[in-house]
Amino acid sequence: MAVISVQDQDLVVEMEGLDKLWALKSRLTIPLAHVRGATADPGIAGEPKGLRAPGTHLPGVITAGTFHQDGEKVFWAVRDGQKAVVVELADERYTRLVVEVDDPREVVAMVEQAMRR
Amino acid sequence: MGRRRSFDVDEAVEAAAEVFARRAYDGVSIDDLVTRLGVHRNSLYGVFGSKRGLYLAALRRHVDQDVRPRLALVTEPGHVPAWDLLLVAAADRAREDPEVAELVSAVLCEVDAATGGPRATEGLLGRWLRHRAASGEGAPDNDDGPETVPDGED
Repeated sequence: MAVISVQDQDLVVEMEGLDKLWALKSRLTIPLAHVRGATADPGIAGEPKGLRAPGTHLPGVITAGTFHQDGEKVFWAVRDGQKAVVVELADERYTRLVVEVDDPREVVAMVEQAMRR
Repeated sequence: MGRRRSFDVDEAVEAAAEVFARRAYDGVSIDDLVTRLGVHRNSLYGVFGSKRGLYLAALRRHVDQDVRPRLALVTEPGHVPAWDLLLVAAADRAREDPEVAELVSAVLCEVDAATGGPRATEGLLGRWLRHRAASGEGAPDNDDGPETVPDGED
């Protein structure tokens, strides 16, 4: 599970509990100006993930870490695909983040509101 | 950038407008869009950034290509506009999205100017509402076509 918050002009994604271990990352800080949008997308959990480097992938259990596909670098931290949120980025190391959050709808609304500020 | 864009963006936006007009914003999933638009999920995110980004593109396209060019028709007697996405957006999405609200309000002002005033616009939108309700599944006169100007009716 990840907790997404807005702090000043940044979007902050913090991994909770063991997900820090699986994802090999505890926190990502992205300038809001580099956030293109956020979408609740449970269906993305069923998509091919690409090559893992580095991270953890136990199909049907957890997808966490950095994955490379079609020239894109995607950060995953998802156990329950029903709670997956996709955050699309520009000019960042990652093309997009796919993270599990407690309330996808609320997180998407928060990100969209922050982008409008 | 390494990003694939092997699809016609305008066709995808047009198809998205149709999907959003029929099922409203929350009734459409990314799975629905990927299936109906025939677009790879990552390409969809790469081009539009988010579901909202695609929705805004679809609404703007609808306004520019379906609504504005047909404003001259609104004064014809019995005219029913085919502006489903605009009106669904007004009822559904405008409450939650200020950018949608702003666009819808601006277009309705243009409609007012074309009809001659808010009263006439209300009549026009009322006809649209009745037409939409009557053209649902099972209705005898199901008309999915563009603008309609019924003739031969009282």
